Parts: sequence; structure tokens; C-alpha cells
Amino acid sequence: MTTHSASIYLDLYDQHAALLASRSNAVMNERRADARARLAQYGLPTSRIERYKYTDAAAAFAPDYGVNLHRVCSVSDPYKTYRCSVPNLSAVLRFVVGDVVMPAAPTAVLPEGLRLYSFAEAAAADDAALLARYYDRLARESTDGVSALNTLLTQDGLVVHLAAGTHLKSPLQIVNISAADLDMLSSRRLLIVAEAGASADILICDHSAGEHQYVSTEVIEVFAGEGSHVGLYTLEETHTTNRRFCHTFVEQAANSHVQMGSVALTSGLSRSTTDVVLRAAGARYDGVAAVIADAAEHIDHNVLVRHAAEGCQSDMLYKYVLDGDSLGAFAGKVLVEEGAQQTLSQMTNANLCVSPTARALSQPMLEIYADDVQCNHGSTIGRLDDAALFYLRQRGIAEAEARLLLQHAFINDVLQRIPVGILRERLAMLVERRFRGDLRCSGCALL
Amino acid sequence: MLEIRNLHAAVEGKEILRGVNLTIGDGEVHVLMGPNGSGKSTLSNVLVGHPKYEVTEGSVTFNGKDLLALSPEDRSHEGIFMSFQAPIEIPGVSMTNFMRAAVNAKRAYYGQEPLAATEFLKLLREKRKLVGLDAHFMSRGVNEGFSGGERKRNEIFQMAVLEPTFSILDETDSGLDVDALRIVADGFNQLRTAKTSAMVITHYQRMLDYLRPDFVHVLVDGRIVKNGTAQLGYDIEEKGFDWIKDEIAQ
Repeated sequence: MTTHSASIYLDLYDQHAALLASRSNAVMNERRADARARLAQYGLPTSRIERYKYTDAAAAFAPDYGVNLHRVCSVSDPYKTYRCSVPNLSAVLRFVVGDVVMPAAPTAVLPEGLRLYSFAEAAAADDAALLARYYDRLARESTDGVSALNTLLTQDGLVVHLAAGTHLKSPLQIVNISAADLDMLSSRRLLIVAEAGASADILICDHSAGEHQYVSTEVIEVFAGEGSHVGLYTLEETHTTNRRFCHTFVEQAANSHVQMGSVALTSGLSRSTTDVVLRAAGARYDGVAAVIADAAEHIDHNVLVRHAAEGCQSDMLYKYVLDGDSLGAFAGKVLVEEGAQQTLSQMTNANLCVSPTARALSQPMLEIYADDVQCNHGSTIGRLDDAALFYLRQRGIAEAEARLLLQHAFINDVLQRIPVGILRERLAMLVERRFRGDLRCSGCALL
Repeated sequence: MLEIRNLHAAVEGKEILRGVNLTIGDGEVHVLMGPNGSGKSTLSNVLVGHPKYEVTEGSVTFNGKDLLALSPEDRSHEGIFMSFQAPIEIPGVSMTNFMRAAVNAKRAYYGQEPLAATEFLKLLREKRKLVGLDAHFMSRGVNEGFSGGERKRNEIFQMAVLEPTFSILDETDSGLDVDALRIVADGFNQLRTAKTSAMVITHYQRMLDYLRPDFVHVLVDGRIVKNGTAQLGYDIEEKGFDWIKDEIAQ
């Protein structure tokens, strides 16, 4: 069913298909016809669609946003203007401004075994073969109209390829900056392929500059080869005028380990959809999220983990601290397919509503078609503990500070699950500053 | 130090304190006894400003200041400390961070700079020794995984760190074995000076033995009905409260 907002973008595509194609990698162009058909078929999801019942995507896309067809970039050299509060986090850094992938810094030297390039830069035969093999392979199976829209309009993206056995010592950092001189839709794309035994941690920072209405779609596809490890962490620190739709697809081979960590500090509307398939025995997926929202922020995590093989594990901990009139939504489903025996799974969603008007919606689900499994799920929604608050105040800690300590304590165990020390410390610092109200993209921001 | 005059207080609309009068001078230890439900814990909670308790009449003056006008945190800065009857567990807030926040809040109240990290750790080390609390407790969440006895020792430890002038011990002895009680009471006694006072709620003679209070008061139905010395406490231990109730009835 084509929704009204989908038809805006279908028309836009039809008018500019040739221009889009002329500026994009061939492999992206090859997938557009299929994406167009899927968007036309499914439309942009309204809240009547089960997986979107907490977020009306069609409404979010209804304004007629501009698309950067002419690849204008409003930030000339982010490598010079970008300031990071924790130096030496990453030796490998790439910027994406809007949906324009910036060239690497001239001084950048990639560790051996790592290839990091934009689709536009994919010149070598090996690169082209990799794109042809993996691009849109998971996303194309989805009935999600937002990811179809992304495939329809995306013009460039980043590829992270880790050769077999490669071990990245420090995290790789990708910084997305929503910057535009007018209301804008950007379509970002990231492809991560970790070959057998490779290991890397990747931090994606989402920031914004300017206060225009901004909607971004991002499709991330992760292929974790046998015995590989991929840590994929997202820090969201944008603006209340931002609307973000990020859909991550993960496919894991035998004995692979993927950890996804999401820290949401500021945004307007943020919807993260995660589809994980544990394809072969011994694969393990960990998902953690720390959400801090206030004012009218709307944060929605929707997770589907498919246990498609025996002896796999998944463990999810999603925690929300909701203040003001914010809304935090979580829907997670663990699907244990037939034959996926010895599955171990745990899914927890905990919400702290700090203000009387904050709302938490929680829906953890299990669907099991195997009989020898251990699966747990649960959710809690609560308020700050008055007794704990008073205990702290009796010891001289002012009420505001006591509330802050308790909120930080609530979210802290999510951060403790992030195994990369420097990343954990940096995120913990940003979370603390966010609670103290002195963070506005200042942790890592454009000067 | 502390003057309570005609204090009336209610919880959820129900009047519990019905005209309490009590004066506590510098360096004095007062023991408050009374049957269950007589208002002992209510009096403690009113003094520390628990928001659940509503003062409906009366006054409390602490070192010349109107105590009831102060927030709970300012009462703490002014020198009031309560050892809670059932110290709560606060997972995720480490003891070290908790104590640092408390110490520095008090210093800020008196216009002092935050304590340097080394000085602060030294202070914790010294005070831990007083109640025999191991270092590893400091990295745990507040009372997280602490036994009943450890929680009570932790209360006295916090008292030692914050150095209050007036402490309320609300059944700090309950649930403690003989050894733990001695550690807690010894810790408390070491903190006593000519300038510090305390109000101790207890049901047990052992606590009287250790603390050697100056005065004992009996609270019945929201009023102090009898005053005496430590001997009054021993009499109650032996005979219960009924004889006092009979006295009032007459």
C-alpha cells in the first residue's frame, strides 16, 4: 500500500532517477528498481503496522524534505573543524556530512587488513566484487518501507572490510553530521564485512549542526564471519529537530560475536530497528542500549533476533531514563526457529520514568519452535525510589544531585557491559554530562 | 543544642506525635524507649525532615536555628545525622562516589573547596578502621550485598565520615549479634565528644550497657510520659512498659 508520504519520494525518484544513477556506484543503481517496487508495495509504515506501532514513520516523512541530489556539502573540512573531547580514541576516522561521505584525511593510515572506503571510491576489482556480493543482501529481504526508501535514494556510503584474522587494536570511528541549509532527507549506508576470525570495534557518532528539520535514514548491514567479533556502538547526540531512522541488519556465522551498543543522549525522534540472524552454531549476539530522553523526545528501539541454528546465544539489556514529556518505546522479539536447540537468550527492558508525564512502552516477546532452550525476557517500568532519594538527602546530597546519582546508577550497568575501556569511559563521561544538562554536542562537536 | 517544643506530627493524615517536649544539651546521650507504634521513628524522621511526615504544630530549634524550616540536606549540613533502622540498598551508586558527593556537598555548604582525591581516600581509610569495614565495600553499591550487620556498621562509618554534632540512632542495635553490636557501639563511643549529642532508640539493655546514656525517656502514644536516668531503661527491660502505662492511667 503506497502511503502518501511514500508517493512523494517515489515521484521524486522517478523525476531524478537518471541524475541519481549518474552520481552513484553501479551496485547501488542495480538495486533501485527492486527498492522502488518494495516501497510502492509496502509504503512508509504507519502506526498500524505492528513493528511501527510506537512510531508513525509515514507521518515523520510527510513533509517534503529536500534530497541532496547535487552532492553539495556544507562543511568543507571536518577533519580540521571537528573537536573530540577524548583524543586518540581512534586512529581511523571518517566523516559523513549529511549523506556525503567525506574523503579520508590525507594523513590517515589504515591498519593492515582493514579496508575503509566509500562506495564512490570502490575502484579495485576486489572492492566491486565485495559490494556485488554483500550490498543490500539482507535489507532486500525486508518488508520495511523505510529501508526500501533508503536503498532507493542512497547515493554513497561507507564500506568497512576486515580481512580474515585482522584484529583492530583501537576502535574505528565514523562521524555522521546532519548539516544542511534547508530541511533535508539524507540516506546513509554502511556495509561492514568481517571475514573469519577478524575483530573490530566501531563507533558511530551522530551529531548535528544547525537547526533545520532533518530526517535521516541509515541502513547498516553487518556480516560477521566465522569466529569474528564486531562491536558496533552508536552515540546519538543531535538536535530536537532531528528525526533518525536507523535499520541495522546483522548476519552471524558460526562462533561469531556481535555486540551492538546504543547510547541516545539527545534527538527529536529516533527509531532504531535491528534485525539479527544467528545463522550458525555458537554465534552470540549482545545488544545494549542506554536511552536518556527528556522534553518531547521520542526514542523507539525495535529488535528482532532470529536463532536459526543450535547453540547460539543472545543477550539484550535496554535501559531508558525518561524525563519531561518524553516517550521511550521498546519492542523486542527473540525468535527461536525449529531445530535451534540449546538456545540461550535473555532480554530485559527497564524504564525509569523520572517525571509524571514521561511514558514508557515495553513489549518483550518470545516465539519458540524448539524444545530444549533457555529463554528469559522481562520488562520493568518504575519511578525513582523515594526511600533511596531520602537516604541520599539525609547525608547532605541536594535533591537534584541525588536524583542525578540515582539516574546515573540506573543506566550505569548498561555502560559497564561495553568491553572497550576507552569507549566505555568516554560514553560514561558523556552520559554524566548529559544528566548534568551541560552537553550540547560539546563532547565531540564542530567548532 | 536541640529543643523540641509541643511537637505534633502526622503521617498520611494520621496524628502520631501529640505534643513532644524534649531538650538535649551538648555532649548528652538520650535514649528514647517506648512500645511499638508509640512514635519513636516518627520523631526521628521528623527531625531529619522526611517528606512523608507532616508537622502540624510545635517547634524544633537546633543550635538556635529553626530546624523545621530547613531542607533535609541542610539539616545534614547543620550537623544532624540519622542511622537508619533499615538502611536501603542503592545499587549502582558506589560507596566511594556516595561519600564523595556527601562530603563535598557539606564542604560547599561551608564555602570550602572539594576535598582533594588523596585526602578523601585517606579520610575513608581512617573511618573504615573505626568500624572494621573492609576496603572492598567502598567499590560496591551503597549497601549492595551488605549483610544486616554490615549495613549497620556502614551507618556508623558514614556518621564517622560526616562528623555530625547530633546523631539519631534508630534501632541501630536491632538484628546485630553480640560482636557486631560491640563494634557498632565502640565506633559510636569513639565519636563522642563534649560537643556531640545523640538520641538513641533502642529496646535492649545491652545498648544501655555500652552507651551509658545520660537520660532515658519513654514515649507512649506520641508523648514523652516519663523521664529518668539509665536506671529507667533497666527497669523497662525488667518490667516492660505496662507499669508506666498504669502510672499514666492513674
